[in-house]
Amino acid sequence: MIVKVEGPEKFGNESYVELFNSILLDIGITRHVEAVKFIIRPSDPLFLISVKTRKAAGKIRITEIAEISQGKEGTYINITDENYAPSLISLLWQLYGRERIEQLSRLEILCKGIDEKEILEIAIDRGEELRKKVLDALWRLLPEGFKIRYDLSSENIITIVATEYEMKEEWKRLAEKVHADMEVLDVQSAAL
Amino acid sequence: MYKVLLFDGGVYRVNELYELVEDVGGFIIQKTQTHVQILVTLAIPEEERDVIERKSQELGAKLTEIPLGGTEIAVVAPTLGRHHMPHPVCDIAEHLRRYGAITVVMGLARGKGRKSAQISAEEKALINEYDAAVFVLGNFEDCIKTEKVRLFEDIRVPVVVVCGPAIDGLPNCKAVVSGVCRRVERMRRAEDIAKLEEIAEKVSKVIEERRRIIDEDPLFVHPAEVRQRIEDLPAVQKSLRPAPIVLHLDGLRVKIPYHEWKDQLASIDVYGRKLKEIAELSDSRLDGSTLIRIYSASKVESMNQLESKKLLCDQASAHAKE
Repeated sequence: MIVKVEGPEKFGNESYVELFNSILLDIGITRHVEAVKFIIRPSDPLFLISVKTRKAAGKIRITEIAEISQGKEGTYINITDENYAPSLISLLWQLYGRERIEQLSRLEILCKGIDEKEILEIAIDRGEELRKKVLDALWRLLPEGFKIRYDLSSENIITIVATEYEMKEEWKRLAEKVHADMEVLDVQSAAL
Repeated sequence: MYKVLLFDGGVYRVNELYELVEDVGGFIIQKTQTHVQILVTLAIPEEERDVIERKSQELGAKLTEIPLGGTEIAVVAPTLGRHHMPHPVCDIAEHLRRYGAITVVMGLARGKGRKSAQISAEEKALINEYDAAVFVLGNFEDCIKTEKVRLFEDIRVPVVVVCGPAIDGLPNCKAVVSGVCRRVERMRRAEDIAKLEEIAEKVSKVIEERRRIIDEDPLFVHPAEVRQRIEDLPAVQKSLRPAPIVLHLDGLRVKIPYHEWKDQLASIDVYGRKLKEIAELSDSRLDGSTLIRIYSASKVESMNQLESKKLLCDQASAHAKE
């Protein structure tokens, strides 16, 4: 992972990089992040972060992460890969509504009155999954009081600039520039 | 000056220790007994330590100094949200407990942000009820030096700041410990433990300094003596709150409602005087608690003189009327 930090204080810069690494490790996406750039200016105050991730490989079928069986009341799903449990449940809620999806235990779900064939069609988008995790990491990282945010997002890059009171136009332009630089970044030659 | 020590030994002949502590003018602060083992927290005059040490050896017990025994310390963070410092804050509070302090973790209501970080008068008043406050701040020197210093501006009790960058000193603050930054895991590594030790050491120094200042004009009675007289109150015995009586350097906090119990507390006998004559009783900002601040011996003395003068004046005017 390429890491570049611009900021006036060495200790603060280093500790934010360390913090980001710990968060990525905690969420389990360290290997998916290719490059990250921080611009930290406590006196403005301004906090900018841009993250470039690897392209996630396609969709994952429900049969790869769970066992499906047809019952009298509907279809039973027994999740075998817990990593995907939250996203699978939220996808089921989205598709069929909360009243038809009953979580019997931590990893068992009953889809009331839904046919097994329908369930077997479900697939989870890995790219979307990764994006959610990166966003989660960024929310955990950003300074808490910096509520005014401007974000940019493309296929595998997310850039967020945050401040405390007023978002200046020049900071938005800065975020756009950093985002554009990330787009053309060649990770192999490694210069941010 | 009193030293607070922890006696870790058996119950066999422990009464000899109690008697000795009493003989040298010390106090038993707390006893915790499990089967035949007993932990006794005691306060003794500094110069009598050798005598107690010898007795402990004789009884086959371990005697350790707990520099923060008999104190209550607030560990304050800008907020207790995961963006701030819940892990270091809890670890610091826990480590100070190992040194004998009772600690309270506090998150400010509006402490987040740089310029927008605030502390209310109510929060400051609450912090002032403790013996010392440890403020755990963030990663950037500029932010701490220009904005966060406002958080502990009017706090009367000694403040120790724990933060990331190396800062020599800050206004209104007795000590600074650097090298503790925002993190997502507990402080478990060897260097983290060393840092926790450093914090406990600095806090101990600050507390010792305060003890010396109090000792220059000593309290009328030691808080532990007042504790002995209060712990028999039915309300205290029935209190289900952890540590219903907490010792402070200059008094104590009793976790029973002030408005309900002030009269009973005020009339407790301490060496022939009522408690209200030798201490100030007030309603604590911590819900359902009473704060007792013991007056110094000189203050009690001057109050006595004033009272006897007033009595003489009254008698004289009564004679004149006759």
